[in-house]
Amino acid sequence: MTEPTYPQLRIVPMRFLNPETVEILLDRLFRVGGIRRLVLNGPSIPATVPYGPARGTANPTTYRRTIQVCGEEYLLGVQVGTILLELEDSSLIPDIKAACDEVFADKFPYGITEGIYMRSNMTTTDYAKYGIVDDVRILGMTDPKSKQRPIILQGNR
Amino acid sequence: MAYTPQYGPGTSKVAENRRNQMNPNVKLEKIRSVTDEDLILIMGHRAPGQAYPSAHPPLAEQGEPDCPIRKIVKPTEGAKAGDRVRYIQFADSMLNAPCQPYQRTYLEMYRFRGIDPGTLSGRQIIECRERDLEGYARELVETNLFDPATCGIRGATVHGHSLRLAENGMMFDAVQRCILDTDGIVKYVKDQVGNPLDRKVAVGKPMDAAWLKDNTTMFHSLVGTAFRSDEEYVKYVQRIHALRTKYGFMPKEA
Repeated sequence: MTEPTYPQLRIVPMRFLNPETVEILLDRLFRVGGIRRLVLNGPSIPATVPYGPARGTANPTTYRRTIQVCGEEYLLGVQVGTILLELEDSSLIPDIKAACDEVFADKFPYGITEGIYMRSNMTTTDYAKYGIVDDVRILGMTDPKSKQRPIILQGNR
Repeated sequence: MAYTPQYGPGTSKVAENRRNQMNPNVKLEKIRSVTDEDLILIMGHRAPGQAYPSAHPPLAEQGEPDCPIRKIVKPTEGAKAGDRVRYIQFADSMLNAPCQPYQRTYLEMYRFRGIDPGTLSGRQIIECRERDLEGYARELVETNLFDPATCGIRGATVHGHSLRLAENGMMFDAVQRCILDTDGIVKYVKDQVGNPLDRKVAVGKPMDAAWLKDNTTMFHSLVGTAFRSDEEYVKYVQRIHALRTKYGFMPKEA
């Protein structure tokens, strides 16, 4: 069976991003449109202190907060360091690059590379974890143990 | 001929900084001042103003056995008073932090007494008697061994030394113990294990990139001095590697 292959991009800024910058970047990327899947990657910011004598106490930080993505709210649980994208077709890559240039222009350098960063087909492990999956877009995107589900943004094109 | 320690090889600035930090005859440059109360708050072992809790009676009251070693080695003030053993732990960014775990242990062994350092890849802990610890911690925080942005006082959840910095130049900290405040000064809002503090504790302004590059003890090919640019250091490391591989550190050259 032939699977359609969609182009994938990885954006790696030189610094970890503030939630405010993530909002600006995502807003700009979604204005380009044609994004099938997007993953925000980075080290986790826990809700409570995970280790040591203070374990379990609340962990107020400026990095763990709800961000607005195209009018939808999403709880950002990581400090974003890498953004993975899957596009509808490769003609959008220059527009994505232009959007990143615009956002990072007065901040710091970033790298953008094309490659395969998310799975498109089910592996045996995926089958063992999820069984039969109706929406295969979720493969390779989320931590299977996570209770937080991905958000689906619609109607921006 | 009297032996003079060389402390370390290398011709680069990084190597020189390493030697200067280790050499107890070189005075560390004092850059910032932190009050006793602030240090105690950050470490979180006792409340400011509280007497030092003790682990055993003072040595003078305890009645020491007649021991030749005890006559040679003078106890530190903390040991004399019977203080508890407490700790301070640092995490240092690989991106030009002025100190780093192995270096910390080396320099502390040369400079301080009565300590038990623990060295790991991303953090370094120093344990000693509480009274002594406060003195040593002051030296570690107030001098050029510390940069508020790229060094963190972290008792637990230390992850961050090998990661990229945040947009404002602070090292990643999942618990965000310190923040870069609007006045440009780094302030601790939690103690070293992550308990919130009643007030913000200022530890000074972050040092600029040029100062960090000039004062770092970490080689880094992208943001600082590349290790391979220091030929003498590379040769020394290669020699040690060959010797320990071939001879298990037997002092024979091939």
